[in-house]
Amino acid sequence: MKFLLSLPLFILLGVSAVAQSKYFTKAGKISFFSKSSMENIEAVNNKVVSVLDVVSGQLEFAVLMKGFEFEKALMQEHFNENYVESDKFPKALFKGTIENSKAISLTTDNVATVKVIGSLTMHGVTNPVNTTAIITIKNGVIAASSSFTITLADYKITIPDLVAEKINKKITITITIPAYQPLPAK
Amino acid sequence: MIFSKKNIAIISVLIVLSAATYLYKEYYRKPADITNVQPVAKINVAVIVDQYQRDEAKANQQYLNKPIQVQGDITEIINQQDTLINVFIGNTNSVHNVSCLLDKRHFSAIKKYATGQQITIRGICTGFLLDVELNRCVIVQDNEQ
Repeated sequence: MKFLLSLPLFILLGVSAVAQSKYFTKAGKISFFSKSSMENIEAVNNKVVSVLDVVSGQLEFAVLMKGFEFEKALMQEHFNENYVESDKFPKALFKGTIENSKAISLTTDNVATVKVIGSLTMHGVTNPVNTTAIITIKNGVIAASSSFTITLADYKITIPDLVAEKINKKITITITIPAYQPLPAK
Repeated sequence: MIFSKKNIAIISVLIVLSAATYLYKEYYRKPADITNVQPVAKINVAVIVDQYQRDEAKANQQYLNKPIQVQGDITEIINQQDTLINVFIGNTNSVHNVSCLLDKRHFSAIKKYATGQQITIRGICTGFLLDVELNRCVIVQDNEQ
């Protein structure tokens, strides 16, 4: 978890480096959805912090597990207490790189599909993630979105035996960044 | 006869109905409105941000998943077409402030506030990223402080 705590430091260090290539947001959105015979599980977190370096292609997301909001309070309590143990593991972090970051042109409006390779740390477990993302540039503003599926067992998230057969063991995670802002120069 | 078959049947039905009603209400229970919930701490932005920066684990022990009341100046109000309202309170020169995601049931209360005004907000602490994060926030009126 030490790495997760370094995010603010990472950003501060970034300010003093090549600021014009770095962008950030505090208002990203991560939602997840799992369809199952018992009931669909759906939650959203609208306070995702992300940093993007368009030159190196480095990309980082951090999210607070207790920030996921469910329609049903009981489901939210079970998620935090029984599944992701958010008292013990309060954050999740994705750190990766856009493979073909040169495909992103900031000078003209365009939409680029890029390949992202990185690792997701959640529930104290880190696993590789390979996915694609869509980067949209409109009027100089960078937006991004991506979606990928994870298996709960890969993150040592166990489903109670009583409902194990009725709950989907895979969840689809969708990330949406409506607008990155330039990292302000010091 | 208190324990007649008829009485036992009536009591059994009442017990089953009560249990079913409880389970139904519990299953569909929405996250609570914290307007009338007593906060575990009343604190200003600079103090709680400092506590989180000094020792995040210790601050989480004190505040995580608990209602807290924070006072400070509004640095920014982000209103996404009335679907989501996030109020930042603290200091515009600081990297770390307090970010308050308003409870949808209380969106109208923020309309009379503007950037620079002092505000007191109560919310459930979800931890610390760049800011101390509060969810399900309500605005505390002057006479409630």
